[in-house]
Amino acid sequence: MKELDLLKKDWQKNKDSFDQISEIEIYKMIHKKSSSIVKWILIISILEVMLWTCLSLIFNADDYLEKINNKGFISYLRIFTYLSYGVIVIFIYLFYKNYIRISTIASTKQLMKDILKTRKTVQYYVWYNLAMIVFGLIVGFIIALFYNPETAVLREKIEHDPKIMAITIGILALVTIVLFGLFWLFYRLLYGILLRRLHANYKELKKIDL
Amino acid sequence: MSENLEHSFVTQLKENQNIIHKICRLYTDCEDSHKDLFQEVTIQLWKAFPKFRGDSKFSTWAYRVALNTAITLYRKNKRSLSTVEYEGRQHFIKDVEYNYEEEEQIKLMYKAVYQLNDIEKALVFMYLEDKDYREIAETLGISEVNARVKMNRIKGKLKKILNP
Repeated sequence: MKELDLLKKDWQKNKDSFDQISEIEIYKMIHKKSSSIVKWILIISILEVMLWTCLSLIFNADDYLEKINNKGFISYLRIFTYLSYGVIVIFIYLFYKNYIRISTIASTKQLMKDILKTRKTVQYYVWYNLAMIVFGLIVGFIIALFYNPETAVLREKIEHDPKIMAITIGILALVTIVLFGLFWLFYRLLYGILLRRLHANYKELKKIDL
Repeated sequence: MSENLEHSFVTQLKENQNIIHKICRLYTDCEDSHKDLFQEVTIQLWKAFPKFRGDSKFSTWAYRVALNTAITLYRKNKRSLSTVEYEGRQHFIKDVEYNYEEEEQIKLMYKAVYQLNDIEKALVFMYLEDKDYREIAETLGISEVNARVKMNRIKGKLKKILNP
């Protein structure tokens, strides 16, 4: 292509047509903070982990179960709590491992892959917590309905009236769906804005190798 | 980090800054974004510098990090890449004596290159920098054959932009 060769000639000739940055300016620059998307992902991830760990602690049903005083449930719950601590540790390890793998010296495709993988780890953690909360709500509901002496009247009503039963289940399902929908939307927006360009470029790179 | 390391980095970056300027020009559309990207590239280079062994040239190592920063890490503040101010780019061809026709053609070529997407720009950048296809492929993480095919397609695309 003739025009491209012309451009190449021009490109290589114009070596000194930029305003040169002085050494002092470079010194200043290296002490400034980065604003790269990797940094943003790290900040958002830390916030997310904190938020979700707090939320799962708030939704902890210990006190509630102690009030009902059902020994069987309490020991189940204890195992469950240890398991969830284990999950947090595993998650943080995986996140850290993926995060330190992100390197600007890697090939562009690899770099993108590593960034997406790191973000996905957090996403899985969020979905895990969300699922746990919904699961907790369902278990809580069942316990409230069938084991809590305070709700005996309500229980009887529900048992005898399939209509009320259907409405209750319907409301529960709706709350779950709305909850999931809202989070899905929030994440689409948050990461959509942050990672739109990265996704587009990653797709383009993958397309080349198809 | 030691002062020696810092000094060595700053000196080498100053000497090789044009390669970063070129990438900034390609991926930004105004002076402010140019400076912004330049700074981000500098920060990323500095972060990666302890791992720079010196078995390749500083410029070779730097352009890779700079490209990765421009394509992947950099968050554009302004979303106006489609409305590029071409007039501001005339300094690319100042100081050089061309005949009018050639100068016009080069201007049009720059204009066309700015219409390419991020990945295509990266390929063109390396092509203009005289990198071979093995290096282009390795930098982007694609196969050499496909890098060649893609470059030919880009040439076709540029031709189409020039002669719609």
